[in-house]
Amino acid sequence: MAGRLQPLELVDKCIGSRIWIVMKSEKELVGTLRGFDEYVNMVLDDVTEIEFVGGVRRETQMDQILLNGAHVCILVPGGDPTAVGP
Amino acid sequence: MSKSKENVVDLGKYIDQRVRVKFQGGREVDGILKGFDKLDNVVLDDCVEYIRDPNDLYRVTDRTRTLGLVVCRGTQVSFLAPADGMEEIANPFTDEAVAEEEENIRVES
Repeated sequence: MAGRLQPLELVDKCIGSRIWIVMKSEKELVGTLRGFDEYVNMVLDDVTEIEFVGGVRRETQMDQILLNGAHVCILVPGGDPTAVGP
Repeated sequence: MSKSKENVVDLGKYIDQRVRVKFQGGREVDGILKGFDKLDNVVLDDCVEYIRDPNDLYRVTDRTRTLGLVVCRGTQVSFLAPADGMEEIANPFTDEAVAEEEENIRVES
């Protein structure tokens, strides 16, 4: 039994576009979603990793990553964290 | 024997209502429930995240940031409730409050 818009369907629609991932910890990533599996491990391209360490925002660029889905908290399809203040 | 694949709670009754979702690790968001699955992954629309106190990551402030249409991972959700069903109360676990409660129980019985 599931409600109208299935969460993993929405993630699937996002394949090929930018996605903003908010982790359980003070870390976020923005990248192009290439694919994901049933554990929501994700392959991301052109990634910006944003960490908030001691009140300081630090960004790191990466070409392609496999993100472990274990601590993924929130996924924002097409989201742009630079438009939103912390 | 109960079917193990059935959920204890039917989230269908909260569809199109504003709900508050709390996560492991202290994050809290508020959004309109648009969808869910049997693993408790959830779709929220018009979602906002409550910003936490930098000194205490389990304490939420009134400041928010807008996220929009989001998917929340069921594995990290610790709590989901209607947004208007909550109010803050005084701490019922202080020594004084516990003593008062025990006194009330003694008086009643």
